[in-house]
Amino acid sequence: MSEEEKEIVVKIKRFSKEKGSWWQEYKLKVDRFTQMTEVLRRIKTEQDPTLAYRASCHMAVCGSCGMKINGEPRLACKTLALDMVKKYGKNEIAIEPMDFFPVIKDLIVDWTDFYNRMFKVKPRLYPSKEVLEGKAEHRLKPEDQRELWKFEQCIWCGLCVSACPSVKNDPEFLGPAAHAKGYRFLADPRDTIFDERLKILIDSAWRCTYCYQCFNVCPRDIEPVTTIKKTRAYTKFLSEKTPVALTGEKHADSIAKSIEETGKIEEAKVYISTYGLLTAITDMIYAMQNGKLKYALVTQKKVKNMEQIRKIIG
Amino acid sequence: MEKLSYDAIVIGGGLAGLMAAHEIAVSGYKVAVISKVFPTRSHSSSAEGGIAAYIEGNSDPNDNPDYMTYDTIKGGDFLVDQDAAELLSQKSGEIVRIMESWGTLFNRQPDGRVAVRYFGGQTYPRTRFVGDKTGMALLHTLFQRVSGLDIDFYNEWFALDLIRDDKRVVGVVAMEMKSMTPVFFKARAIVMATGGMGMLYAHSTNAYINTGDGYAMALRAGAALKDPEFVQFHPTALYPSDILISEAARGEGAILINNKGERFMARYAPRKLDLAPRDITSRAIITEIREGRGFPGGYVGLDLRHLGEDYIKERLALAYEAAKNFAGVDATQEPIPVRPAQHYYMGGIDVDITGQNPDLVGLFAAGEAACVSVHGANRLGSNSLLETLVFGRETGRAVAKFLSEHKEEDSNSLDKEAEKVVDDAYKFVKSESGVHFGEILNKLRNVMWEKVGIFRDEDGMKDALSQIIELRKMTSSMYVLDKSTTYNTEFFNALELRNMLDLAIVIARTALERKESRGAHYRTDYPERDDTNWLKHTIAYLKGETVEITYKPVRITRWKPEPRVY
Ligand SMILES: Cc1cc2nc3c(=O)[nH]c(=O)nc-3n(C[C@H](O)[C@H](O)[C@H](O)COP(=O)(O)OP(=O)(O)OC[C@H]3O[C@@H](n4cnc5c(N)ncnc54)[C@H](O)[C@@H]3O)c2cc1C
Ligand code: SF4
Ligand code: SF4
Ligand code: FES
Repeated sequence: MSEEEKEIVVKIKRFSKEKGSWWQEYKLKVDRFTQMTEVLRRIKTEQDPTLAYRASCHMAVCGSCGMKINGEPRLACKTLALDMVKKYGKNEIAIEPMDFFPVIKDLIVDWTDFYNRMFKVKPRLYPSKEVLEGKAEHRLKPEDQRELWKFEQCIWCGLCVSACPSVKNDPEFLGPAAHAKGYRFLADPRDTIFDERLKILIDSAWRCTYCYQCFNVCPRDIEPVTTIKKTRAYTKFLSEKTPVALTGEKHADSIAKSIEETGKIEEAKVYISTYGLLTAITDMIYAMQNGKLKYALVTQKKVKNMEQIRKIIG
Repeated sequence: MEKLSYDAIVIGGGLAGLMAAHEIAVSGYKVAVISKVFPTRSHSSSAEGGIAAYIEGNSDPNDNPDYMTYDTIKGGDFLVDQDAAELLSQKSGEIVRIMESWGTLFNRQPDGRVAVRYFGGQTYPRTRFVGDKTGMALLHTLFQRVSGLDIDFYNEWFALDLIRDDKRVVGVVAMEMKSMTPVFFKARAIVMATGGMGMLYAHSTNAYINTGDGYAMALRAGAALKDPEFVQFHPTALYPSDILISEAARGEGAILINNKGERFMARYAPRKLDLAPRDITSRAIITEIREGRGFPGGYVGLDLRHLGEDYIKERLALAYEAAKNFAGVDATQEPIPVRPAQHYYMGGIDVDITGQNPDLVGLFAAGEAACVSVHGANRLGSNSLLETLVFGRETGRAVAKFLSEHKEEDSNSLDKEAEKVVDDAYKFVKSESGVHFGEILNKLRNVMWEKVGIFRDEDGMKDALSQIIELRKMTSSMYVLDKSTTYNTEFFNALELRNMLDLAIVIARTALERKESRGAHYRTDYPERDDTNWLKHTIAYLKGETVEITYKPVRITRWKPEPRVY
């Protein structure tokens, strides 16, 4: 266990109402154990107390410290400085606020929109009256507990939302985190407002483009996109048919738009318009990106991506 | 300054605060929760192991609440108020049932009932858990539940100080962190649920936000802290991030080694070895490091390798993951770097079993901010989450009762006091040059760690006390570089430091006074427990630079003090 210290350069994108935005550089020594939250804390207490950021638990459970580190949406506490140095082959680390959310100061962003999305899905159990009054007791199968617990572990860090292209394009889309939360209660056998939940979730569920960004960035492995898929499978239970069919059309559009905006190819568009087979497309995109493409929006990966699409399209 | 009126204000959005707010709201009173972070980011989310509960029909058939009470009292080295411990045990099952009915995904037994595991110091297993993220699961359940009620949340609002008249609290001044706008929140009752204070120590498992604000606010308002000298340390925190590596690791056979590869616990606890109690193990590790047998940086190794990869990944998943994620160490290949760290604060705002403070009418406290006292000199694992919920609820109910009995009194004459709080806060950071908070902060954390930490003695604590007084003086020339009025976190960090110093002086002073060793308070110059002279609670007030100390008897109901041997 040797403790070699290494000097790194941390470039932080600062912002203030008064001064606008600028990049600032700090130098400090770190060892192989140093978390990025500790890097920030040391900058603030030892070099520049004016730097503003959020952090609380330093153990990846509170969801405070989401930011972009070398362009990747990450929790700062779950990121070791020297891992970043190794991964990018240079001892300079760039830190920026998360995308999508309005920046208020330095790395601090405005969460209002995110919380509104979370509250829209009624994020709480509505148990039966008997249970609430203590007259009955819930029993939950261990396997149900395990299934739900996977999705319950969302820490409201917002990284998935900051990375999701559909949220940016489609104001009606609730976004990955709210879907994960919504599904966690939709699937809970102890809940009593299934129909209401389904109404809130279904239309929105068809607005996801299955790009898997949320899956890739989630620090708790929630797989929000999986919950969206599972929610779609509930469409058949919808008592009163909402315009899901219409949504299907919008869905196709938004896939096209997202592909266009992320700089990807005409072929997919052609494919969509020619075959118009929603499931086929989404499955294709899923197969293409699942596991193979860590960060689909990282520029150098685009070309590879296109080739894969061409191959699939033939 | 803008004024807002509520029946009650709860300061703190962790488990204790949210539970209290829930009770006040469902009783029909107008309540607001003020929290310096979004509630789910409170420290309660970090709790791992579980919440203790005796559940009728779902516990060991031989267990009963009396055993639970006894375990708690003995664990606390008999400084526990026994009526409080009894209440804690009796209400434990009900609390877990409530949380379950609100949706907490407790791990299950095959028949669908809530599962149970063993924790240190329990006669029968009674810890209920949600994987290794029990605190997070409970906090999200509770926050989500209360977010559906009629409660006003002021998130990312920083409480500066309480406002009081002759004998009662009438409100609190808080500042919106985003805009720096101060508001005088008027209320007939205030619940302090501000959590712990780990950042006072150079090494702590606590969240960065645990700066002891509530203790300091209470002290400045003239309320006493009970047993402030009792600070719990955990032997195995991950180096250097101080993330908790659960005792379970050593329970499963992990051993502690020094830089020579020696299993050093053989020297300190020849029979119990690595499974010696927390305090002994912490002292042993510190001794190794101080005598040059630690690794560079100051830690020892927690060696799991002999257990084999499969066993480690299956039985010690959490320790394995934490080492990997936060220290980049593969525990199947090399020892996990660990050292002791501050973990919990047994002391707190003096309250009775209804959460009420005897000094100020209308002042209540719950959770880690309070000292009820159920933990005495040393908290038992998994009793703290339980305390936040049981006494959060008791306190909320007592507040509702208090509100029904106490009508509104005029407090308009106190507007000037509120203005003064804001001026004071600005004043002490107004200088155009001087020291920055970081400089004082680092010194404070080191002196607390070195001299008011795991080992204590008279000379060290006298020295610490004079250093703390010196650092407190330095804050009068503290200087904030950031002049902006948007999220001026430097300003708030400086205020937190002021709070830490107000608490530090009380801890150092009362620890110096208690001339015995009990639970987590270990004096090298008085290594024995002394019931004849010291079986009593410390009650401490802060008057400027002076800490006024009195004592109060421990409430003993059925369990006579006996030596604490396991
Ligand atoms: C790593 C770790 C693991 C643990 N595991 C367990 C376990 O397994 N079982 C167990 O029983 N206990 C455990 N504990 C202890 C337990 O987690 C805490 O004691 C408990 O969660 C405290 O809850 P609380 O509601 O009192 O305070 P907190 O959850 O700390 O909440 C404090 C609140 O006060 C607010 N606040 C503070 N100051 C201000 C201010 N100036 N203005 C406005 N708001 C303010 C904060 O924003 C926060 O919302 C553990 C502790 C640690 C450190
Ligand atoms: S898979 Fe769906 S929810 Fe996830 S990032 Fe892509 S569009 Fe958003
Ligand atoms: S789903 Fe994952 S990334 Fe999204 S908010 Fe929850 S924890 Fe964060
Ligand atoms: S600080 Fe809590 S998630 Fe990073």
